[in-house]
Amino acid sequence: MGEHDLTAAMAAQLDRHLVFPLLEFLQERQLYKDEEILEAKIRLLNGTNMVDYAMDIHKSLHGTDDVPADMVARRAEVLARLKSLDAAAAPIVSFLQNPQLVQELRPDKQYNIHMLQERFQIGPDQIEALYQYAKFQFECGNYSGAADYLYQYRALCTNSERSVSALWGKLAAEILMQNWDIALEELNRLKEIIDSKNFSSPLNQLQNRIWLMHWSLFIFFNHENGRNGIIDLFFQDRYLNAIQTNAQHLLRYLATAVVVNKRRRNMLKELIKVIQQEQNSYKDPITEFLECLYVNYDFDGAQKKLVECEQVILNDPFLGKRIVEGNFVTVPLRDEFLENARLFIFETYCRIHRCIDIGMLAEKLNMSYDEAELWIMNLIKSSKLDAKIDSVSGTLIMTTTQVNVHEQVIESLKNLNMRTYMLAKNIVEPAQAAQQAAR
Amino acid sequence: MKTATKHPALARVSSGILSRPNSPDLAAAAAAPELQSLGPVGVKEQPLTMSSSRFWTQGDSDSEEEEEELESEQGSDSDDNGGHDDGKRSKVQNRYLRTEDDDSDESDSGHRVVRSLRDKRNEEMKSIVDQMRNAMKINDWVSLQESFEKLNKHLEKVARVNESTEVPRMYIKALVLLEDFLAEALANKRKMSSSNSKAFNAMRQKLKKNNKQYEDQIQKCREHPESFEEDNADGKDADEDEEEDEDSDAEIEDPEKIAADSDEGEESGEDEPWVKKLTKKDKLMDKQLLKDPSEITWDIVDKKLKEIVASRGKKGTGRIERVEQLTFLTRVAKTPAQKLEILFHVISAQFDVNPSLLGHMPVNVWKKCVDNMLLVLDILQQYPNIVVDTTVEPDEKETQKGADYNGTIHVTGDLVAFLERLDSEFFKTLQCTDPYTKDYVLRLRDEPLFLVVAQNVQDYLERIGNLKAAAKVALRRVELVYYKPQEVYDAMRKLAEQTEDSGEDGDAEAGDEHQAVDDNRGPPPFVVIPEVVPRKPTFPDSGRVMMDGLMSLIYKYGDERTKARAMLCDIYHHAISDEFAVARDLLLMSHLQDGVQLMDISSQILFNRVMAQLGLCAFKAGLITEAHGCLTELYSTGRVKELLAQGVQQSRYHEKTPEQERLERRRQMPYHMHINLELLEATHLICAMLIEVPNMAASTYDKRRPMSKTFRRLLEVSERQTFVGPPENVRDHVMAATRALNKGDHQKAFSVISSLEIWKLLRNKEHVLEMLKLRIKEEALRTYLFSYSSCYESLSLGQLTTMFDLSESHVHGVVSKMMIQEELHASWDQPTSCIVFHSVDQTRLQGLLFQMADKLSVLVESNERAYEAKTGGTLEGVPPRRRGDGQDSSNFGKWQENFVSSQGRQGGNRSGYSGGRGGGSGQGGGYQRNDRGSQGSRGGYGGSRFQDGRGRNQSGSSSRGGDGIARMVSLNRAVRV
Repeated sequence: MGEHDLTAAMAAQLDRHLVFPLLEFLQERQLYKDEEILEAKIRLLNGTNMVDYAMDIHKSLHGTDDVPADMVARRAEVLARLKSLDAAAAPIVSFLQNPQLVQELRPDKQYNIHMLQERFQIGPDQIEALYQYAKFQFECGNYSGAADYLYQYRALCTNSERSVSALWGKLAAEILMQNWDIALEELNRLKEIIDSKNFSSPLNQLQNRIWLMHWSLFIFFNHENGRNGIIDLFFQDRYLNAIQTNAQHLLRYLATAVVVNKRRRNMLKELIKVIQQEQNSYKDPITEFLECLYVNYDFDGAQKKLVECEQVILNDPFLGKRIVEGNFVTVPLRDEFLENARLFIFETYCRIHRCIDIGMLAEKLNMSYDEAELWIMNLIKSSKLDAKIDSVSGTLIMTTTQVNVHEQVIESLKNLNMRTYMLAKNIVEPAQAAQQAAR
Repeated sequence: MKTATKHPALARVSSGILSRPNSPDLAAAAAAPELQSLGPVGVKEQPLTMSSSRFWTQGDSDSEEEEEELESEQGSDSDDNGGHDDGKRSKVQNRYLRTEDDDSDESDSGHRVVRSLRDKRNEEMKSIVDQMRNAMKINDWVSLQESFEKLNKHLEKVARVNESTEVPRMYIKALVLLEDFLAEALANKRKMSSSNSKAFNAMRQKLKKNNKQYEDQIQKCREHPESFEEDNADGKDADEDEEEDEDSDAEIEDPEKIAADSDEGEESGEDEPWVKKLTKKDKLMDKQLLKDPSEITWDIVDKKLKEIVASRGKKGTGRIERVEQLTFLTRVAKTPAQKLEILFHVISAQFDVNPSLLGHMPVNVWKKCVDNMLLVLDILQQYPNIVVDTTVEPDEKETQKGADYNGTIHVTGDLVAFLERLDSEFFKTLQCTDPYTKDYVLRLRDEPLFLVVAQNVQDYLERIGNLKAAAKVALRRVELVYYKPQEVYDAMRKLAEQTEDSGEDGDAEAGDEHQAVDDNRGPPPFVVIPEVVPRKPTFPDSGRVMMDGLMSLIYKYGDERTKARAMLCDIYHHAISDEFAVARDLLLMSHLQDGVQLMDISSQILFNRVMAQLGLCAFKAGLITEAHGCLTELYSTGRVKELLAQGVQQSRYHEKTPEQERLERRRQMPYHMHINLELLEATHLICAMLIEVPNMAASTYDKRRPMSKTFRRLLEVSERQTFVGPPENVRDHVMAATRALNKGDHQKAFSVISSLEIWKLLRNKEHVLEMLKLRIKEEALRTYLFSYSSCYESLSLGQLTTMFDLSESHVHGVVSKMMIQEELHASWDQPTSCIVFHSVDQTRLQGLLFQMADKLSVLVESNERAYEAKTGGTLEGVPPRRRGDGQDSSNFGKWQENFVSSQGRQGGNRSGYSGGRGGGSGQGGGYQRNDRGSQGSRGGYGGSRFQDGRGRNQSGSSSRGGDGIARMVSLNRAVRV
């Protein structure tokens, strides 16, 4: 079941907190044993401050009320640290909680710092404390608080390194709060910084890009305009390079996005080129489907792969998102993907055939004969397909459009005359003007 | 980012290596080894053979000396002869010197010894003979003539004094000498000044006349030279006796005396056979240093060392005995640091043993050198406070600090340089040895020896934190391993382990013997160093693991060149391990091909080797186009051997200077690293065949650019043959297969190809042949469809499957692909599963029309470009240039693209864009010749416009397009030359 599961590869590039949704999903899908997932969760939580949550999981995992001593100790430690950080950040937090005072802040950073120093005795130490406090809040799972503080911190901080990490924190917080619009904004901001900043080594930059792409998956598969966004982002040369270098598994998401997106059909060619280049380092049913269809023209193979694709999509945390409508549980992406994939097969099939048996077609499209006929009729009617149905023999006959050779030649020569004329005119006119001027 | 074709870089490589033999980098490469020899080891000694051969040839220019040296290198017997004669000569000389000394001594000290007149006369005569000899040395015939006359006059005096008519032997000997010298000079006539040559001629005649008188005596002298030397030898012995007496009197504490003695010892030693002399010297050494071991102090050893070091490069210092002397000194060294210092000198002296750039170090010396290196490492491990570096100028007395000294002791030396030299010497031996002899194999077995040293040096450098140097050493190790497939690697590992077990005994024995001899000769070493450094290399289980370990070190700390080379080696190793994707990614991501033409030649050769291996790897993986892309550039020049440094090809068109040839020989790869050229050629040609045959079938009308020009040329040659015999070599086989494939006969094509012998070289032969069979069938199918589709209305799938022995789905896939790519104008009829062909084939006229349309659009486009270039603005009112919209224009784009590239290549130094433009207009003009009209002049205009833009005034080409193209071509040529 879990053979095409990418969680392990993905988790390496995500923040601890961002892995939780993935684990939740896996738990729901029951791909792995519950114990394993709970174990993984506890290990994940060990690095965070969500000690209570960890204790709960521990209890449910072992079915006892006993909690290991180190967890208790950690809880105390966390609480103590929270207190000290609270105290350190208190002045600036109280300042920020007063809307009137916040109003006085201006876009000018220097001014703000100066003003804070003068009037409220809030120096760099306090601002630094704010960062630590926000980070701690985030670790504790208080994402909204962390997001707010980080936003404020960014307005005040002067250290660009810190500012970037604050931005990462903000992005994570927004993703976890599922504020997709804001998250998208933060994502773009971060992307700009990554692309424009001078990294000490290209390797660093590459790593940053890969993180960004992984994090962006949360947004793109939830935001309404995400499907364009993912194609736009991932197909940028630098990001495509990053994918090919170190994150080939992202091709799954890119491929899915391209298949699903009707308006970005033109990217297909490039995608297939990349998939072929990377076939040694990554393949899954989705990329194999495209390869079967567009490289080997193996329609049966594509059909088989499509069945596997369905499973892969259902088991993927990003692709297999469910929407519950009344009693129905649908996975919108799966339906779209299958629909489009079928269309791909059909289109390609029609392109190289003159005459197709509708019965066979129906079988391939997983439809009944009548359904298939209806579907084809609709296609013909909407002039998407240039063909006729021969209902006696039950076949679909393509009308091949033969372009007349003469037409072709004329077409190719049509505007040469005009272009040449314009050229001549452009040359002669200045010359004449010059002559007249000379006279 | 990832495309498998990267020929431009390769092309540049080839030009880098071959077409600019006098380019600076080559010159630098030529200079480098010389520098090397000067750099680390200091001024080269004048080799013994050289100084003696002066007698013969009077070589006074360096180049001549070098030639001499070469000769003496190659023909050792002539050397031997020379040695004997030298012996005689120097005896006489020495004798003279000594007597001269005596004379002056006597005169200086005021002692007047009454001598007989006879002695005096003899003495004088001797001095004249010596003058003559000096004159000979510098080829001075004028003074020689004078001396000769003086000698004759003197002869009378001597005769009078001796009161006998018997001619002195000395005189006869001088005559013999003169005669020989004359003959020699006559034989290799060199340039002489006019006075000199006049004197030479006069001398010749005089000597002839003169010698007639003493003919029989001369004859006797030639037959029994010994008898004529008796008296000299006696004198010599007496001299030596005297010396030895002096020696024994000499006090140990007087180093200057020792110096003088040893110098004399060396000088006098030259006339003795080696062994005798060595023992004599040892005796000498013993006398001074053994007499009272406890009395030997650091100072004595240090002084002695300095003096030996200073003797380097001086005339008459034997290189081998220098090593002996120094080795002796290591034993008496007082402190570890001193021992280390002396060891360094020993090692560099050992490197000095072979003075020539072409020859290599004798194997036994090399082995001893390895031992010394290990000894050095032992010391360094034992005494971690000793630091070896080149930056700090050590104190005079630095090495005096004993083993118990606490601070750091600096010793000058460069382990990496030694190691690199050791490696290159090893490489050179293999280059010079005939690979079919046992010697070669034996020599190859020494590889683990070197690996041990390298490993230990690297460990040491890592330990002391000099990681940059460690990376360099790691590269050397990589370069010994990278070309070894796992099997060979295992064999090496086994060998290394074996030598430890069985070979150890033999070694130990030999070592013991050696030790025994040493012990007899010298005192036990003062500083005993236990063998702390492992003497056995440790190898990881697979070559890959070893490579990975070394690679990560190099990538982290190596400099640019080291990294680039290591990367290439890594790619090579991946390629021979059949990991094409990894190798390709490494090559592409490192962007090595971009900078390869800037690298040194040996790296370029390495790059070429990598490309060849990558091609083979791709072929084995069934990636025909990739393989072709890798190999085609190697074969486009027809000088594969040179590009891979696996042999020298005689070029028909230009002679190479000896200098170039020598350089080339030095670059050659040793035999065991060769890539099988037949296999490579077969791979390349088969790839080209699989690509080109369908391509030719597809383009009967339009002359599409051939994918592989080399292949086309070969095919043309083979088609021109009137009689086709059975295939003999690789090329014949592939050509025979091509003929079969052209007819769609896949069985014959495959059987011809599989009959090639070379396939047995492949590890997974069956697999590769299976792949080839499939590919041949596929291409046969494609060729068949291309050629005969016009004859069919429909063709059933079943028929095709039986014809080409392929599965239905496979045929379906192949045909579908052709349909989609519009190579085949047909479509499937699904219910009957057959191909229905559309008769879209153009008539000849229509085809030509399309071509004309394409060319016209190119013409218009180039006109517009020319206009834009002139005015700097775009043409107003003209629709935007159509590029990439619609099938027609894409076709056109392709055409022009091809043109650009071909023109770019022709133009050579022009940028692609302008090359395309000029070519386009020129071509347009050419076309217009058939169709004179208003367009014709425009075509010409385009051409001239372009040339004006280039700043070349070319009038007259505007009116006639045809003229224009002719000029374009000639212009190109002019530019190129």
